[in-house]
Amino acid sequence: MVEILTSQVVSGLATGCVYALIALGFVLIFKATDVVNFAQGEFVMASGFISYTLLIRFELPYWLVFLATIALSGIMGVALERVVVRPIMTAPIFSIVIATIGASIVMRSSAGILYGYDVLPLPTIFSKDPIHWGVLNFTLMDAGVIGSSLVIMVVLYLFFKLTKTGTAMRATAQSQTAARLMGVSVGRIFSLTWAISAGIGGVAGVLIAPIIYLDPNLGFIGVKAFAGAILGGFGSIPGAIVGGMLLGILENLSGYFFNAGIKQVSTYILLILVLVVRPGGLFGAAPIRRV
Amino acid sequence: MKRLLSSAGALAGLIGLLVVLNGGAPTWAEDGVTDKEVIIGAGMDLTGAVANWGVNIKAGMEAVFDRVNDAGGVHGRKIKLIAYDHVYQPPKAVTNAKRLVERDKVFVMMGHLGTPTTKAIKEYLEEKQVPNIFPATLASMWTTSGKWHVGDLASYADQTWLIIDYLVNERKIKKIASFYQDDEYGLDGHLAGKARLKQYELAYVAEVDYKRADIDFSSQAAKLKESGAEAVIVQAVYREPPRLAEQCHAIGYYPQFIGPGPIVVNKTIELGGKHVEGLIGVEVYPLPTDPGPFLDLYRADMKKYFPGLPPDTTNLYGYQKAALFVEALQRTGRNLTRDSLLKSIESIKDWDPGWGLKYSYGGDNRRGMSRVGRLVMVKNGKWTKMSQWIELKEGGRR
Repeated sequence: MVEILTSQVVSGLATGCVYALIALGFVLIFKATDVVNFAQGEFVMASGFISYTLLIRFELPYWLVFLATIALSGIMGVALERVVVRPIMTAPIFSIVIATIGASIVMRSSAGILYGYDVLPLPTIFSKDPIHWGVLNFTLMDAGVIGSSLVIMVVLYLFFKLTKTGTAMRATAQSQTAARLMGVSVGRIFSLTWAISAGIGGVAGVLIAPIIYLDPNLGFIGVKAFAGAILGGFGSIPGAIVGGMLLGILENLSGYFFNAGIKQVSTYILLILVLVVRPGGLFGAAPIRRV
Repeated sequence: MKRLLSSAGALAGLIGLLVVLNGGAPTWAEDGVTDKEVIIGAGMDLTGAVANWGVNIKAGMEAVFDRVNDAGGVHGRKIKLIAYDHVYQPPKAVTNAKRLVERDKVFVMMGHLGTPTTKAIKEYLEEKQVPNIFPATLASMWTTSGKWHVGDLASYADQTWLIIDYLVNERKIKKIASFYQDDEYGLDGHLAGKARLKQYELAYVAEVDYKRADIDFSSQAAKLKESGAEAVIVQAVYREPPRLAEQCHAIGYYPQFIGPGPIVVNKTIELGGKHVEGLIGVEVYPLPTDPGPFLDLYRADMKKYFPGLPPDTTNLYGYQKAALFVEALQRTGRNLTRDSLLKSIESIKDWDPGWGLKYSYGGDNRRGMSRVGRLVMVKNGKWTKMSQWIELKEGGRR
């Protein structure tokens, strides 16, 4: 019983880490540019196909593919910002949101046209054989996903905290006008934010595609990650991470204690409950309404 | 009221006039049938959770139709298949069916994919009196739903009886669990298995469901492990068995996985690799690599018309449906109506397309080649025959 429960928590945490990475992508872009990028899930899908192409068609080594995928995904993020978002930056926020939804549909369909809609297995370096460690029951795959996600999160934290660019990005998130007055090139920061968000999406893609298979509809995982971001408090970076992880664990446990139907809606039930008690999410500040 | 009556009268007059005016031209009584063409419709999953089946069934059917059309068609009529993508979602299947019947005016629905999706359009087709010919679902409902529905191969219920008999009698396994898709597809085999187990005075040790398009089964794996089941029947398609096996193996649980026809696809092996070694499936028609003149023709047609798609159980499934449909059209002759087509399907008795297995219809029998099945197993990354063709019992769900 204990062994099974711990294995549920560990594998849930692995999925949750991937949700957390995608949620992080949502939040970074939102904080810096006030845009909710609904094509975030599509970065995950696209990077899955990029790494599939590099691994299978070009037969490159795995570590190179991993780095190249993150870089290419980042470039894709910049391209999306420059081509789709920047030209309409002054338009109402709803127009921008719809534009990102449009972009996501275009990306999904392009993947379908290029690769077909069949599911593909994406190879991974992590073994899926079981490992026993006390009461812990897990696979190298789970450990690899959790480890890689944590490394990315720590690197990001250090980047924001210690580098000049990171500080400039935080400043831009606080106040674009003030940042501009301090000599920060806000346009460059926007591009960089999109590159980092898409790059994180790329990591998520390389990690999750071997687990849940690769197909053009993979990007819908973004919807769950979005729920995770809201659960944690949309706009809060620790919130996105904790929200995503919680969601992964909760899904597994609800599936175990109840059935597949409850598992499917458990995310949203929890989301509603949390928002009723704390409208700002777990880590978010409660919204202040001035009358 | 008076105005309503008079406008109804005008409408009736107009229809009458149209009928009279149309009288001179050669017309056919049925939708979708003209002098030179017969238009048939299908709802397929081309982009969703079972797209591998959808894309291949469509190709398999078209390979037959292309060959027949190249040779001049059947009784001078070419066969045109219109297929729309329903993404394996029942609401979309309904919209597509309405479009096919009301706008495209199809003669029949042919090879419509998926149990939940075909069930969703069942009543609509009955209401419109459009025959549902050889739907790409082997749920037992298509063999028992009356005039408008005609199945072709042994149902999931029949197949599950074979699975239970094999596990209980040959493998002496008594702890059997069911992992099933929570809709009409998964329930068909799941309930039939329950009924068969009851006859052995047994019951499932665990019943765990999953939702269409789910892909994470770690909680199901945990429940199955806890039940101590030695065999797990997977009433699923091709994405689920590899993933479930992987997640069971991850927690150190290695039961015998076994399931009905929809899992017997090369894709299952491609996705699962070593995790699906030893997986057993039920076949209700030969493997694409088997010998026989009909299978030679199938391989030649697929190579000619769809060189990009390798021979697979999925496209062979569509191919045999289309071949059976062409046989029915041949028998019907030039006077093609929905009724005459259904009558000629009923006239098919002991018809062998050239692979050693026979289709028979007649009376209430809407099963075609219902009683035949055999077990196949994944060995060294290939589906391999385990047994000879077995006469199946007609499995019930009660």
